[in-house]
Amino acid sequence: MTKTRTGLGHALAYVILILMSVIFLAPVFIVLFNSFKSKLYITSEPFRLPTAETFAGLENYFSGLAKTDFFSAFGRSLFITVFSVAAIVLFTSMTAWYITRVKNRFTSFLYYAFVFSMIVPFQMVMFTMVKTANALHLDNLWGIIVIYLGFGAGLSVFMFSGFVKSVPIEIEEAAMIDGCGPIRTFFLVVFPIMKPTAITVAILNAMWIWNDYLLPYLVIGTDYKTIPIAIQYLRGGYGSIDMGAMMAMLVLAIIPIVIFYLFCQKYIIKGVVAGAVKG
Amino acid sequence: MRKNLKKYYPVFVLPTTASFFIAFVFPFLAGIVLSFTKFTTVTNAKWVGLQNYIKAFSNEDFVNALWFTVKFTIVSVITINIIAFALALLLTRSIKGTNIFRTVFFMPNLIGGIVLGYIWLLIINGVLQFFGVTVTYDASYGFWGLVILTNWQLIGYMMIIYIAGIQNIPTDLIDAAKVDGAGFWGILRHVIIPMVMPSVTICLFLTITNSFKLFDANLALTDGAPGRETSMLALDIYKTFYARTGWQGVGQAKAVVFFIILAAIALIQLALTRRKEVEA
Amino acid sequence: MASITLKNVFKIYPDGFTAVNDLSLEIRDREFVVLVGPSGCGKSTTLRMIAGLEEISKGELYIGDRLVNSIAPKDRDIAMVFQSYALYPDKTVYKNISFGLERRKTPKDEIEKRVMQAAKILDIEHLLNRKPRALSGGQRQRVALGRAIVRSPSVFLFDEPLSNLDAKLRTAMRSEITKLHKNLDATFIYVTHDQTEAMTMGDRIVVMRDGVVQQVAKPQELYDAPRNMFVAGFIGSPQMNFVDAVLRNKNGRVFAAVKDDAVLLPENEKFKALPDGKKVKLGIRPENIVTEKERFAPDEPVLHGKVDICELMGSEVFLYIDCKGTRLTVRAPSYSAPKADEEVFFQFDRNKLHLFDAETEEVIR
Repeated sequence: MTKTRTGLGHALAYVILILMSVIFLAPVFIVLFNSFKSKLYITSEPFRLPTAETFAGLENYFSGLAKTDFFSAFGRSLFITVFSVAAIVLFTSMTAWYITRVKNRFTSFLYYAFVFSMIVPFQMVMFTMVKTANALHLDNLWGIIVIYLGFGAGLSVFMFSGFVKSVPIEIEEAAMIDGCGPIRTFFLVVFPIMKPTAITVAILNAMWIWNDYLLPYLVIGTDYKTIPIAIQYLRGGYGSIDMGAMMAMLVLAIIPIVIFYLFCQKYIIKGVVAGAVKG
Repeated sequence: MRKNLKKYYPVFVLPTTASFFIAFVFPFLAGIVLSFTKFTTVTNAKWVGLQNYIKAFSNEDFVNALWFTVKFTIVSVITINIIAFALALLLTRSIKGTNIFRTVFFMPNLIGGIVLGYIWLLIINGVLQFFGVTVTYDASYGFWGLVILTNWQLIGYMMIIYIAGIQNIPTDLIDAAKVDGAGFWGILRHVIIPMVMPSVTICLFLTITNSFKLFDANLALTDGAPGRETSMLALDIYKTFYARTGWQGVGQAKAVVFFIILAAIALIQLALTRRKEVEA
Repeated sequence: MASITLKNVFKIYPDGFTAVNDLSLEIRDREFVVLVGPSGCGKSTTLRMIAGLEEISKGELYIGDRLVNSIAPKDRDIAMVFQSYALYPDKTVYKNISFGLERRKTPKDEIEKRVMQAAKILDIEHLLNRKPRALSGGQRQRVALGRAIVRSPSVFLFDEPLSNLDAKLRTAMRSEITKLHKNLDATFIYVTHDQTEAMTMGDRIVVMRDGVVQQVAKPQELYDAPRNMFVAGFIGSPQMNFVDAVLRNKNGRVFAAVKDDAVLLPENEKFKALPDGKKVKLGIRPENIVTEKERFAPDEPVLHGKVDICELMGSEVFLYIDCKGTRLTVRAPSYSAPKADEEVFFQFDRNKLHLFDAETEEVIR
């Protein structure tokens, strides 16, 4: 009796799960097939697959690429994300180690300042940060890395510090006796131990920076468009949108994310859970 | 060792700290000061006391955005957490293929707000056109559109956290409950739910703050239309700054209020977690 | 030459706590010295000051003829084995052992030779490619030893290296470390809270308490002639018995009055000089309480009590005797032992009695 009941339960579970999967995947597929329809049909019958009549080939892609200069935007997004994440992982792990190991008033103040910064929304510092970035000439592709390092430092320092506290100090003492100074101790001994946390920090920051719209838009947006800026740019002055180009660009924006996700899925899910539990 | 390392602060803390001051500490402090002044650029600020705050709260758009955000947050938090928890329960049963489902449900979380907004703009307008309207026709359409969008984005994320919580429950405990004669609902009520309370706290906090801070999707899906009726707090603050000259001070005051609300939420969450830890 | 000299060394923490109080000690080249004491006695702090991991607040530390107070650990020609082993978790056993040599720019083939040599001595050759995670406690311990010996330093420092191992392994590793000391030309300084380790391994033992050295002596001397009640109680298992007594000086013969009984003390000018009625503590080790009637000394009083508990250890028994409210532990051969709840008669072996001043707890002899 129990067996048939679990059997039924499983069947029901599958039905629900499959239904939910369809709901979760449908939007992406709808966007995908609409990107091959000519733009008039996208708004009038968005849920119909392309037919011979509505099929537009790659026309939307060409017009979208022309309007947004998508590949440059992609390059910029990649550049900013890669270098900002690298800077964040490198510098915040060093800082976290230092402020955890060297205990004085300055370092504990820093620690609490970093933790505090995690609860401050971007809008709070938006205006003044942009003005500061302009004044210091950080409104370019290299400068924005400094901004990301500074604004992203809170969570990253917090997560690294949490990990450093769990590293037995004897290991670092052993390294000192083995002949390492502070820099060698950090890079040859401490950092390799921190690798799992480094991956988590890298993934959380990469997801944030890659998708971030407002910060880059305000700091460098007029001169250097990233992918989200380029897509938002497709919305015309009075809210009119070229839906054909939009669909095509959405597809191009989603593809790298899906590829990245499929390759690093294990790390991403683990990292997100670790980040949530600690944050 | 301490003393030796101490000398290395220029290497270890300076880059992070300098950037932190540029991108956060200075803008934060300046932001607080500017919220009490009238300015168009930072250099021409003039002290006006609490006037900006008074203006902010007597500004219909702001009050409207505040209520819209609160309503949106309540509805989203409830729907997201219930659905995510239900999915987590389904996926922690011993059935095959759970990994594929997990992958599918989590995927939308990686897509940024702007892209999300336009994906759902297509879908929602597609549905609404059967009724001859668009998402910006009425504020309630925008409201539910944002709820659906946020659900789609966050359910997978919360589900993953709930799954981790459920998997942490010792099987002994569930076995003991079974031996004691508890059925599915009994186990759920007396074992699973009490044991995943830490995950619930985390998920509630994450969904509340994420809903409260929603900006990109709001901008892409409705841009506040019709009028400013579907503007959430973040979008309203942005528009006060950049679409209304002379109102920067008010924008900054609104931002401070926004920050205080989020800080209060964070403090409540911290207090709740602390209390749980003491009990445990 | 790696003698170690500590001259009036203090460790005072910023909060005013004195962890090590005026410690002076000379350790000879190639000596095996054990620092022993209860937790918090300052033994580990002393070791860490010798290693250079802890700053010396006051005093001087010499390794050989060199004042090393302000010299970095890596330049002190020492190696250290930690209680938690402190292996680098991300590196293989080979890398863990070779790491210190690489930092010192040793040529690669030389490194390999020495790592293999160390691995052979410690019998861990088959583990060289594993990570610490995949090793048992005993194997990790060996790797930690390997990391130390590969550099052939002139001083080895051990900080409770065996306390995370189970009893059987601990005994085995104990003799291995002793063997290692015989084979290596180096000075060993070993910290432990376990008096058995101290007694079995050290050439000399330093007993510490609350940051102060209580006694420095060879193991046998420490056992036979403890300088105060703390050392007497700390060294030896089961513990030495302490009995409250009052000194009685009668016609040039000195007795210790224990309740209604009197115990004759050995001839000693020091005892005779003590005032009548002085409060003292008698110290007697469990094996120096005689329960076999045939071994009783004829001219001495026989005490008696009731056996509370009788623990059979095999060839011997531990008797816990209640003697008019005083608890005594007796170690007796099992063939002649009384049972629990039986009345038992016994004598103290007069020549093995220790007499302590009840106030200062110092020995009188």
